Amino acid sequence: MPIYFTEHEIVVPGQLLSDNGKRSGEGTYAYAGKIYAARIGFASIRGNKVVVTPFKTAYKPAPGDWVVGIVSDVKPNGFEIDLGRHLKGVIRMPDREEVMSMGLNVGDVVYVRIKESGLSGVAIDKRSRIRRIESGILIQIHPAKVPRLIGRRGSMINMIKRITGCDIIVGKNGLIVINGPSPEAEFAAVKAIKMIEEEAHTSGLTERIEKLLRGLIGEG
Amino acid sequence: MSRPERLIDNNGRRVDGRRPDELRPIKMEIGVLDKSDGSAYVEFGGTKVIAAVFGPREAHPRHLALPDRAILNCRYHMTSFSVEERKPLGMTRREIELSKVIREALETVTFLEEFPRAAIDVYVEVIQADGGTRTAGLTAASLALADAGMPMADLIAAVAVGKVDGQLVLDLCDLEDKYGEADMPVAMAPRFNSIIMLQLNGRMSVEEFKKGLALAQKGISEIYHLQREALKKKFSELAPKEA
Repeated sequence: MPIYFTEHEIVVPGQLLSDNGKRSGEGTYAYAGKIYAARIGFASIRGNKVVVTPFKTAYKPAPGDWVVGIVSDVKPNGFEIDLGRHLKGVIRMPDREEVMSMGLNVGDVVYVRIKESGLSGVAIDKRSRIRRIESGILIQIHPAKVPRLIGRRGSMINMIKRITGCDIIVGKNGLIVINGPSPEAEFAAVKAIKMIEEEAHTSGLTERIEKLLRGLIGEG
Repeated sequence: MSRPERLIDNNGRRVDGRRPDELRPIKMEIGVLDKSDGSAYVEFGGTKVIAAVFGPREAHPRHLALPDRAILNCRYHMTSFSVEERKPLGMTRREIELSKVIREALETVTFLEEFPRAAIDVYVEVIQADGGTRTAGLTAASLALADAGMPMADLIAAVAVGKVDGQLVLDLCDLEDKYGEADMPVAMAPRFNSIIMLQLNGRMSVEEFKKGLALAQKGISEIYHLQREALKKKFSELAPKEA
């Protein structure tokens, strides 16, 4: 398959990437049998697909994603969850009794899984546990930076958790809840996460984050 | 300014010293505003335009939201100080029309179906007007959309061609626009060579129209090149090479 980009080249919308239209992946589109970039980002080959990893992008809900949301409305037949930006998820309940038994109220922060996202809106999976988050610091980062925050097989987020001793819940939509043993630990985690968001595309970030955290927390 | 005696002198130079097929000096900057999701500043000689993109965000009023795609709102506006005589505040008939024209051009390249029920707002603000504000605005708006990470089929590059003193010229300035015989703004998605917007004010023969279009295409390919360079420059600064 002829390819018209070098690995991790920055591509812009409309740039020709490949002649094999069947291998069009995320961030690209196929037109007349060819693949073009649809977004500004890094082009690469993942599996047998040509993909563009965007620098910025709005969160697009996909089935199976775990997200953090805020209950924005309680209705007789369910809940409405604000997932940040324009997105609203719904939890549909069979009747009022069930709604009441959930014990959720407007303003509560929940950690939920997306069941489906389509023309009828974003539905939330009821079978996976709907977890109400009791306390913590709620912050928001750009959804495109979430994979970097998690790191390869969770390396980055696990390191932050280990050093700060915080429990961190990361929603794919960019909402994050941090729960720590002390305010200092929580603030250190927030600082690290903000730094990852700013410098997501630089190399050697893991080491710098580790250094930052060790400096803030001490060797404890 | 009053009408100059001639718009093209004996040496074939235009009022600002350009050759007939020469663009004005172009400057493009991406991500100039912090509070918008994407923004761009574009300068075509004396024409200075800022474009900002917000979204996808909730569509207001709610009943306008579409179940299968996002709606695109666009506001083209000239600041009061952009022209010689103060432009009163508010949207004039002309600005409302240009907002629609720019919106429809942007809709053709943006994959709006990616964001059902949402709205994408594009603001084009003319800081200084010296002819060709709709084309500069469209050029800036497409850069701002790309900067916002919006999925798009292509960037849009636009430029005007016109007829002054009986001769076809590229990228009209205000004087040429006012006192020339014709003004034809053209916007294209250069990748597919498709014309996205074309307007014509004045008179041209079929032959002139064809030549003018070819001239516009030449200008557009130059602008397209600059757009891509500007975008790549901005994001390569953001992402230093792997050490």
